[in-house]
Amino acid sequence: MKLKINGLDKSYGEHEVLKKINFTFEDGKIYGLLGRNGAGKTTLFNCLNEDIEMNAGEVILEENGIEKELTSSDIGYVTATPMVPEFLTAREFLSFFLEIHKTKINSLKSIEEYFEIVKISPSDQDKLLKDYSHGMKNKMQILINMIMNPKVILLDEPLTSLDIVVQEEMKKLLKEMKKDHIIIFSTHILELAMDLCDSIVILNKKQLHEIEKKNLNTQKYKDEIIHSLRDENYD
Amino acid sequence: MINTLKMSLKIDLTYQINAFLSLLKRLPILRDLFTDDIWKSKNIKKVARIFVMIYLVLKKIIYRFLYFLVIYVLSFFLTKENLSGTFCYIYFIFTLIGMWIHNQLLDPTLKKYFSILLFQMDAKKYSRSYLLWNLFTSFLFNSLCFFTFSFFLSISPLVIVCLILFSSFARIIGETLNILYYKKYHTFWYHNNFLYFSVLGFLLVLLFLPVIGILPSSSFFFGVMIVFFILSFICLSYLIKMNDFLLLYKTANTKKMAMNMQQQKAYSKQALVEMKTKDQMIHNKKLKGKKGYDLFNTIFMERHKEILFRSAKNYACILGIIYIILIFLIKSNENLSLTIHSFLSSHLGCFVLIMYFINRGAIITQAMFFNCDHAMLAYNFYKEPDVLLGLFKKRLQSICIINLLPAFVIALGNTVLLWLTGSVAIPIYITTFLFILVLSIFFSVHYLVIYYLLQPYNQELDMKKISYSFVLFLTYFFTYFLSNVEMSSFAFSIFGLFFTIIYIIVALILIKTKAKDTFHLN
Repeated sequence: MKLKINGLDKSYGEHEVLKKINFTFEDGKIYGLLGRNGAGKTTLFNCLNEDIEMNAGEVILEENGIEKELTSSDIGYVTATPMVPEFLTAREFLSFFLEIHKTKINSLKSIEEYFEIVKISPSDQDKLLKDYSHGMKNKMQILINMIMNPKVILLDEPLTSLDIVVQEEMKKLLKEMKKDHIIIFSTHILELAMDLCDSIVILNKKQLHEIEKKNLNTQKYKDEIIHSLRDENYD
Repeated sequence: MINTLKMSLKIDLTYQINAFLSLLKRLPILRDLFTDDIWKSKNIKKVARIFVMIYLVLKKIIYRFLYFLVIYVLSFFLTKENLSGTFCYIYFIFTLIGMWIHNQLLDPTLKKYFSILLFQMDAKKYSRSYLLWNLFTSFLFNSLCFFTFSFFLSISPLVIVCLILFSSFARIIGETLNILYYKKYHTFWYHNNFLYFSVLGFLLVLLFLPVIGILPSSSFFFGVMIVFFILSFICLSYLIKMNDFLLLYKTANTKKMAMNMQQQKAYSKQALVEMKTKDQMIHNKKLKGKKGYDLFNTIFMERHKEILFRSAKNYACILGIIYIILIFLIKSNENLSLTIHSFLSSHLGCFVLIMYFINRGAIITQAMFFNCDHAMLAYNFYKEPDVLLGLFKKRLQSICIINLLPAFVIALGNTVLLWLTGSVAIPIYITTFLFILVLSIFFSVHYLVIYYLLQPYNQELDMKKISYSFVLFLTYFFTYFLSNVEMSSFAFSIFGLFFTIIYIIVALILIKTKAKDTFHLN
């Protein structure tokens, strides 16, 4: 499975954010998307998720040699600021969601089993989501996106607000999921990207480019990434 | 589609039940009785479900009856000769106005955001079921109200059926036109002020045709109904074929926009209080000679000119038009002239209520909080008593200026009407004029004071303090009480003036002594 971005352009008025991006993501890998503040990582995700219109270009999903245009139903998008229906309890949210999508979900689990995946304790399951912390809301958001088992998973800074136990669980889950998903993981934490991702993609100067994977944990590799992220306009 | 409708109604109802229980949980005695277990208690939720369902149905019925009552009263005021014909005509124009100002399908709401983007419901099925449900409920409530009002009016059943169907057709056409407009211009037509207010103004002018004796016959309604039937059929087939609902919802119902509409749709949320791009540049001469918190406040006011002045300007324009219409009407209607004169001479108290409603204090304080205070309150220096008082005074001046814009139109309008409808002593003209300005200043002070003393918002602009709502309720109650007081305009004006002066002094003392403890983040 491949996700092909062909000639993607995006501007806000006269401010050009993404320029003629051509890039192919493949399944079996977790891609770490790195870029400086304002580089356009969220804009790229929003374009892929059809939240905003692209000025030009196309995004193609190739599966078993068959190409089709990527639609938001192929995508699970975990945003940096989780949005949940605040006046529902976590259980209500999950049960409504499962009821709506029960025919589309492969190997439907019980509500308790789903809560167990993201380690939401029984005492929290019947709390209103408005009373959840940022991290807990994030867990719910990740869970909902995982249940639908989308082909492409976009994660915008998803792990930073989670406690370390759930962080490790989520990392494990993402690693298990990568073999038949395309996972793109945006983060500012280089160590996290180097630890979790199989490939680092840099968004700099409105373009995407991949940094060849070597020994991911060497200082030399780290320096190479930072060097790629440096911009003469800043420095 | 039926399953989608059932599911969305079920989610909506659960949401309302939880919101209701949450409200109960914040009330003084019930707060102690209800623990967190209520969220999983099926029995409590069953009882709450009954209450909420009754409340929702009653609310819909009462709103619809009030709508019909307004039409009835307006018909009565416009003409006494053909009450039933005028009633039908006003209903017809109101339906056209509703078609223009309400866009239910695309309007960003939290409910749509949740249903389509969070619950990932099929957008096409959702929008169809949403439209169908709205058409069904309005058909039902319109039929009920027409049935009730038919006891007081003599309208033929055929015309009633025509008008009820006309409402449904108009809704379908309005929704489709709105979608087409959004697709072409990527914005709603109500964001195009010129277009929006021109059409609205035209329809409002049409509303007054019965005053000059023009009233369409029954055959006119039949004709229009047939035209609308054909158009709505075309529109409906377009809506059924349309496949890009999801994309439209995604662009029209962004998270931020949905959040803005969460509670007090009219004005309270972020989109309406966020800085507009065109205000980002400030002319240097506006800042010349300013320093410290004066400069700080000027920058804030200049950067938010659009949102702060927008509704004040709109109110001033609408009020100006109303006064001009009244001036024309009193020339030809002796009775109206006498009524207005007597009203302005002895019922000036009613303007307390009017000034309460048109005061922009609430939205201005929200803009202050959202764009400035919620960040600045994180710094301790910002909470020093002298800083708070200094900024309060500067802000008070600015709020007063904004609110004086519509107030000036009312004050001038009242004085001119008083003069045209019969002469009074010069001091009464002066006090009538000043009274409105004083009221405007009073409400400006009031909103700013309760904002500083009760600071009710959290970072998402949700109202977190019930005491704030309570004070607003008391304010409304007090203004309503004053609006019913019969007192000479002169006495009322003098009373208002002294009351406002005392209120300002007390407010300044309270801000100086209390605001350091009360003005903080929730």
